[in-house]
Amino acid sequence: MRDVSIVGMGTTEFGVLDAGVKDLGVRAVSRALRSCDVSRADVDALYLGNFVAGILEGQENIAPLVADSVGLTGIPTMKTEGACASSGIALRQAYQAVATGVHDVVVVAGVESMTSAETTEFTRALNSAADTQTEGKTGLTFPGFYGLWLDRYMYEHGTTREEVAAIPVKNRKNGATNPRARFRDPITIDDVVESRLVADPLRLYDCCPAADGGAALVIAASDRARELTETPIQVLGSGHASGRSGAYRYDDLTTLDATVTAATDAYAQANISPTDLDVVELHDCFSAAEIGDSEDLGLFEKGEGATAAAEGVTAVDGDVPINPSGGLLSKGHPVGATGIGQVYEVCLQLFGEHENQVDGAELALTHNLGGSGAVCTVTVLGRDA
Amino acid sequence: MPAFPATECADCGELYGFPVVACRACGSESFEAHDVDGSGTVYARTTIRVPGADHQGQEPFEVCVVDLAADIRITARILDNPGLSPGDSVQFVEARDGVFFFEAA
Ligand SMILES: [Zn+2]
Repeated sequence: MRDVSIVGMGTTEFGVLDAGVKDLGVRAVSRALRSCDVSRADVDALYLGNFVAGILEGQENIAPLVADSVGLTGIPTMKTEGACASSGIALRQAYQAVATGVHDVVVVAGVESMTSAETTEFTRALNSAADTQTEGKTGLTFPGFYGLWLDRYMYEHGTTREEVAAIPVKNRKNGATNPRARFRDPITIDDVVESRLVADPLRLYDCCPAADGGAALVIAASDRARELTETPIQVLGSGHASGRSGAYRYDDLTTLDATVTAATDAYAQANISPTDLDVVELHDCFSAAEIGDSEDLGLFEKGEGATAAAEGVTAVDGDVPINPSGGLLSKGHPVGATGIGQVYEVCLQLFGEHENQVDGAELALTHNLGGSGAVCTVTVLGRDA
Repeated sequence: MPAFPATECADCGELYGFPVVACRACGSESFEAHDVDGSGTVYARTTIRVPGADHQGQEPFEVCVVDLAADIRITARILDNPGLSPGDSVQFVEARDGVFFFEAA
């Protein structure tokens, strides 16, 4: 296995962009190619993550369409789909192709266009990530899944609603200074606990907004990275696991084992422990998810994820900074673009150039989760020595 | 008290709440209907106030994860009782269009 580095990156802002998936993908890929000294002829393959373009736009087959539109005609391309983890999977596949020597330079992208869809079509598309034969029939939604999660979690740990609300308050504070975020206005604990119920005990401000967006990376074998950029970021560990098909399939609903498995693999490969990390971008599609993810990633003991946020431990200047970008709760959740968008944010951190910079960040983790914990990718990244 | 219509693997005896086409434990594709005690306990509960496309107009409604006495865990609906919490007792009422409905016991 060869070492793999990120040598280029590009993104759109995440928000209401009035553009389809192909155009967002083209913009992101074009920007990633422009960010480094990679010629079109250098690129061996393109992997693109997307979730619902087929349902919402009637547009499938977008990986070769994007490739042709950016001047990469002829190379092998493929789309990866794993609900909200679609582009985390794209990165994983591209990483494996480079690590094993199949390709030397690969473009990885994630893209989604959601906000122009009607609400009914939009929710139908999102719910297709659940098992439609079992829980889908009951009417359980994804806020509902995390409503069940939080109901059980609060029952087991005595966590208060106000402690849970500290998470969206933190992430919206961070998002306020991120020009790539959809929501840039801070909120208070009262705003959260007085917002309307969506799936008890989950409320509106516990839920991330939809967004349109695209993000892309250029990755390469590390021994070629210095030819392509002065500032490579090394992929130190990559984990990818599948989990449970529904809430009823968990023995302990508050531990999403796909995260535990993917993280364990990524930590082992990177030869680090969670306490070594300087900055984390994790999958906070709901406040409850950030609590659980932070525990499943081994950053906190079970039952301490919400109190850590309430005590400021996960703030930008805290001991365990989580989602200094504002996370999905602020940036928005352009589903298929989310995983690469997280990597974009931590690369800025490792460059020392983030709007919410964590002092001296050298070791970072991204965590991308899809469905009812059905699929997860975890990536550990560090400055290339 | 209605019994719960579980499914049993004909080869290894594994019990399932939702219908299955292959046994997770042994790979068998042979199953038999196997009624079990319809009493259960709430493991987790939520109230859906913003429904998906196929459940418009039913809101608010309660979805729960229920543990049956026969060691089967399923996701189900609770009939109009937002007050239930983890640990509370429920009783199976009926299965309709592939959805299991429970009520407070
Ligand atoms: Zn069996």
